[in-house]
Amino acid sequence: MKYLIHLTIFCLSVLNGFGQSETLIPQEAVSVVSINNISLLQKISLDDLVNYEFMEELQQELFDGSTEGKSIKDCGIDFDQRMNVFVGNAVDYEVGGVTFGISNQAKFFEVFDDYDKVPCDYPGVELYSSYFNRIAIKGNYGVLLRVNPMMELVDMLTDSIWYARGNEYPWGYGYDEIYNDLDGENIEEAFELMEELETIENTNNPSADDTFPIASNDPTQKTYFELRDSVEMSLQNEYMQQVSKNIFVDKKCLFSADEEFRTLVSHSSDAAIYLDNSRYFMQGSSIWYFQAMYPQLYKELGELYESNVIIGDIQIKDNTVEFLVTSKYNEKLGSIYEEMNSAKFDKNVLKYIHQDNSAFFTYNVNLLGAYEQSMDVIVPILEKETSSKVTANLLVLELMDALIDKNTVFNTYRGSMFGTYNGVETIKAKKIIFEYDDETFEYIERQVETEEEMPIFLIGYSTKREDIIRKVMKRLDRLSDKVIAYNDYWIIHDAILNAAPAYVFMNNGLFMITNDKNIPTNYFHGYGSNALSKKNAKKAKKSATIYAFADMEKAVENLPSSLFDGRQNEMLDFIRGKSGNIEITSGGAKEFSSDFKLVYNLNGEQDDSGTYILDLINSIYVLTK
Amino acid sequence: MVLYLSYNNDMKVHRLLALVFPLLLIASGCVEIIDDLSLNADGSGTFKYTVNLSSSKIKINSILALDTLDGRKVPSLDEIKSDVDRLIKAFKNKDGISEVSLDANYDDYMFKISCDFNSLLNLQNAIKSVILEETEYKSLPELDHDWLSFKENVLERSVPKITIEKTKEIRQADKALLREGSYTSITRFDKIIDDFRNKNAMVSKNGMAIMLKTNPYSLIEDQRLLDNTIYLKSDK
Repeated sequence: MKYLIHLTIFCLSVLNGFGQSETLIPQEAVSVVSINNISLLQKISLDDLVNYEFMEELQQELFDGSTEGKSIKDCGIDFDQRMNVFVGNAVDYEVGGVTFGISNQAKFFEVFDDYDKVPCDYPGVELYSSYFNRIAIKGNYGVLLRVNPMMELVDMLTDSIWYARGNEYPWGYGYDEIYNDLDGENIEEAFELMEELETIENTNNPSADDTFPIASNDPTQKTYFELRDSVEMSLQNEYMQQVSKNIFVDKKCLFSADEEFRTLVSHSSDAAIYLDNSRYFMQGSSIWYFQAMYPQLYKELGELYESNVIIGDIQIKDNTVEFLVTSKYNEKLGSIYEEMNSAKFDKNVLKYIHQDNSAFFTYNVNLLGAYEQSMDVIVPILEKETSSKVTANLLVLELMDALIDKNTVFNTYRGSMFGTYNGVETIKAKKIIFEYDDETFEYIERQVETEEEMPIFLIGYSTKREDIIRKVMKRLDRLSDKVIAYNDYWIIHDAILNAAPAYVFMNNGLFMITNDKNIPTNYFHGYGSNALSKKNAKKAKKSATIYAFADMEKAVENLPSSLFDGRQNEMLDFIRGKSGNIEITSGGAKEFSSDFKLVYNLNGEQDDSGTYILDLINSIYVLTK
Repeated sequence: MVLYLSYNNDMKVHRLLALVFPLLLIASGCVEIIDDLSLNADGSGTFKYTVNLSSSKIKINSILALDTLDGRKVPSLDEIKSDVDRLIKAFKNKDGISEVSLDANYDDYMFKISCDFNSLLNLQNAIKSVILEETEYKSLPELDHDWLSFKENVLERSVPKITIEKTKEIRQADKALLREGSYTSITRFDKIIDDFRNKNAMVSKNGMAIMLKTNPYSLIEDQRLLDNTIYLKSDK
């Protein structure tokens, strides 16, 4: 019956005409941002649009002036079709790009003027190519596509060809050290260093002492890096052909391959988000080492993450942007999440959230339950892996599980926590100034007090073992002159950004840290009648795992700009002067899914809802990339 | 047609920037620089360079707590320490340079570098050489000029162009914050100062030191602001 329903949805969706630009998304796509109501974006300038990180495939257009002074409206895009931005990967290559509808092809290529038409064998498809990307147009929709081979594969093939040609070991500049130390943690560092070394080779005036990989004394022979570039280019072409053939000839695309995605794009929401968490995790570029070293464990973990998909709908209603997210998973993973979400809400946290606070969150989990369920699920997986390293780690894990008093551990740190942001206050800090002697201009240093603006926060963790934390603090008081005990609390000097003190105290089964001295001294037992209103407290209690609320006006208006960089301040400036609330609620973990909801109430300011939605999409894209 | 910017090609320059200006860039608000040159009659002397970022330590600490900033990796404190130590080590090995010392206070972000030199030429060559090593010998036209010369009781000095040129890469919004900083250039002699060209300069009461003060923003806007020609009396 379920199959029949999905089949019906699929057929209806095709008949209704959607599934056009969506049908050009490669099946390798792991995350997709699908904008349905792209008329929202009409007013956005193209320069602003391509500046968003999720539009990075279009960013080359920024540099040639072809987007200057134009909006999406001016570039021949069809507003009746979805725009889908995607990234993803297969084992050997990565894909990225955007699919869109086209209403005016001539206008479209005024913007995408880097592209030249190239011969194409796919029926009904026009192909355009630039140095990096391809654009394929089929009727009134198209895809801008980039395919890059995985660098591990490129390096492996290059080495193979290099040695087969009779060349010697190509490296003479620290590569041994890089590879000898190579493990999961420093792979990224090693690749960065290799890129640097490649740049050294291309330097016009290399140091005389440096030796670089050269093929031979014959200048017509390729250097190692030239060979690697050729291999990369060749693989890029091959995979581009493969991905294009899948889409245009074999009709294999994400839309046809994934039921969740098909259902998602049948929704009438303004935008939708799709993230295949299982492939994101299992095919991530950082896991290749793990895959090579522990193939059985890799396979088992793949089963654990199977069917793990995050889907979300973004909807603009009146003055509200709603983002509804569902995380789907299989029974094994679901059993861990269910245990994790079985915690009883700790009402004591509500006493320490002031009714006028700018932003707060509560996070409610049963860490002990989640741990025990994780052991039940993960130990059998680890048992199947025969490598000595995993077996040794499993032994340590099982011994710790048997010997450590888990109740004590998880009663000390139970997992549930809360945090509040209480605005900005001026704090005393210190700086060094120089005083000059008029006679000689010699100078001396002097430390003076200065005032700095600092965000004020309170973070608390639920605990049943205040006695253990008290022991730790008591010893720290002896060990460090920065920790000083008072009657009911401790001061840790220079704890916040090495400039301001933090205050630690415990009460009502909560271990709390704040940089506001008022809280341990005047509100040790909570804010009393000034605590969070009953209405808001009820919302927090009702929201299963997480509840968060932020009054954007209060939260952002007074944030000190000196604590943020230029780009962050530009984003904050956009919010400054506007009002609105953000509320995040969760529906709790069910057997196969968990629901979350983010509501952004614009307080009647809907002039620029396109920008709001783009900001939200971009944040989600960056987080899920 | 302009395509993607090649970060690789500029990597070495960025690496240098990451070493020379990292804290200046992220704490561009309240940087205080003191450039203190003591010159003996024979052309030898002592050079001290102080960078005081204590006013921005909260901002620096908040940024060092991040992994990336504007899409670039934020170096850890250990990486910064290691890079600074490497620079000092490289400087120690240069001809005509001795008594190199670094007083680095990573709590308040105050850095004091000091060295003795045989001649101003050796001092400049040593600085140029370290920069070239750090940039992997990338061609830097800003290094072509000499910013110090001393002949017959006349000292001509300016600010090394590379420090100004690279600071220009700071975004306009951040650059405006440099107005709050200060750049002080002090030159000391073992003789009495007779005259000087820069009208903004002040001579110490003992007549043997001269000071020019501006802010980094003004210096970027007008690179010649601290240029000066100082004439010394023949006898003390």
